[in-house]
Amino acid sequence: MASGRPDVPLQAEDIGKSFVSDNGEELEIIRSVSFALARGEIVSLVGPSGCGKTTLLNLLCRLLEPTHGAVFWKGEEVTTVPAGIGYMLQKDLLLPWRTAIQNVMLGLQVKGGARSRHRERANALLEQLGLEGFGDHYPSTLSGGMRQRVALARTLAPEPEVLLFDEPFSALDFQTKILIERDTLRLVRELQRSLLLITHDVEEAVSLSDRVIVLSRRPCTIVSEHRIDLPGDRSNLIALRESKGFAHYVRQIWTELDIR
Amino acid sequence: MKILACQILCFALFIALWQWQTMAGHISAFLYGSPAGIVAALVATVRDGSLWTDLATTALETLAGFALGNVIGTTLGLSLWYSRFVSQVLQPFILALGSIPIIALAPITIIWFGTGFASKVAMSTLSVVVVSIVIAYKGALGVDPDQINLMLSLRARRPQIFRLLVVPASMTDIFAGLKLTVGFALVGAIVGEFMSSTNGLGHEIFKSGSLYAISSVFAELVVTVVLALALSGIVTRVERLLLPWRHDLS
Ligand SMILES: Nc1ncnc2c1ncn2[C@@H]1O[C@H](COP(=O)(O)OP(=O)(O)OP(=O)(O)O)[C@@H](O)[C@H]1O
Ligand SMILES: [Mg+2]
Repeated sequence: MASGRPDVPLQAEDIGKSFVSDNGEELEIIRSVSFALARGEIVSLVGPSGCGKTTLLNLLCRLLEPTHGAVFWKGEEVTTVPAGIGYMLQKDLLLPWRTAIQNVMLGLQVKGGARSRHRERANALLEQLGLEGFGDHYPSTLSGGMRQRVALARTLAPEPEVLLFDEPFSALDFQTKILIERDTLRLVRELQRSLLLITHDVEEAVSLSDRVIVLSRRPCTIVSEHRIDLPGDRSNLIALRESKGFAHYVRQIWTELDIR
Repeated sequence: MKILACQILCFALFIALWQWQTMAGHISAFLYGSPAGIVAALVATVRDGSLWTDLATTALETLAGFALGNVIGTTLGLSLWYSRFVSQVLQPFILALGSIPIIALAPITIIWFGTGFASKVAMSTLSVVVVSIVIAYKGALGVDPDQINLMLSLRARRPQIFRLLVVPASMTDIFAGLKLTVGFALVGAIVGEFMSSTNGLGHEIFKSGSLYAISSVFAELVVTVVLALALSGIVTRVERLLLPWRHDLS
């Protein structure tokens, strides 16, 4: 069996997944996907709706067991959720009975340790994400953008090395989205985290990523890979969209997405 | 405000009409009672103090059965979340238990628990417990699987998922169950009193009924309704206190 490379935080070797449907039919969702996520790298996965992106993400953090293939975490094969994963979905999944800060502290509480330290760390994160003063608010009193920021803080609080994001910004309006993307990008780069981002939005993928991987329709395989090389300041997400080459990447990826 | 005014008006009209027709001799006070008779009966029970002992007896039986039934039911129902296998094995038994008319259990509870306080509490508990199990289990099963995945991604162990997610997430359902079962608990206690008792609201209703003291029956019924409303009021208050994040409650 192939073993992973110890310097690579997350690696997938020929993973595939089939579900058995209710009428006993085997449904192949993912045929074969192999790739590696390097330290500090931001990679986007784009693919047609229903192609199995969420399933792929759940395989990568071993919430699901692959039908074949293996997932490696720093070179070691993993069979349960590895430590150091930050998992974020389109739904913010904030617990409504916890205040914002208590939600941010959730992962730390699961890990254990001194509560005062947790609170300190959570407060610092809320402040970094522009939520100072909202720590004691219940989620139901926060706007969609603020809730997703709280979810981002919750994801970052346990200091995960690899972030797995499943369209976390897709429900936000454009302005909110750009702002939260910018903050995410800043924190991820600053802390040298690796980020795997699933998105429908090709422009989002190109503007945020070092690499964009295009997936095929079901059963899912990798169609192509684009290393995104854009001039200028990568953190200025608006200017980036105007830059030379941006439109080219977007058009290229759209063509490969094979949307009928 | 307008609704309340209309409700009071309707009630007053009904009482006035009833009293008027009774006094005019169109309605038999012997068979149907009369508002004045009901008030007189109430005053009499207050005077001789029996109202308070009966009320306290029934209230205590109801509260004890309510608490016992819900503690047992909620604990069992939530723990069923731990094992789908156990819950599937138990399902038919729970359903069978739930389908027994509660009054059919009265003779057995008297044999097992005697004719005093304990048998009323047993009846009350039995009328609560199955509903409570089913509601708590449904609540636990209703937890968003994505939320469970989130907990797993944080490497939460099963007891942690239970404590930090499943229990609090089920609270909304559990409180809905409490509001429902407070009435069931009262029914259980009163049915228990019907079977054999020396005091309590159910006892008085039964006794007055067999003496054809219809106004007294109504008087005791009024007290029973007040008790039921007070109990569910308390549950609502406690819910608001314990679930401060439910802004829709206040
Ligand atoms: N547990 C399961 N059992 C059977 N089929 C499943 C299961 N989970 C997912 N599927 C199927 O797998 C396919 C891919 O689902 P998935 O959610 O991974 O797609 P996706 O690319 O994330 O979709 P979207 O773009 O809508 O987010 C869907 O057709 C879905 O019905
Ligand atoms: Mg998806």
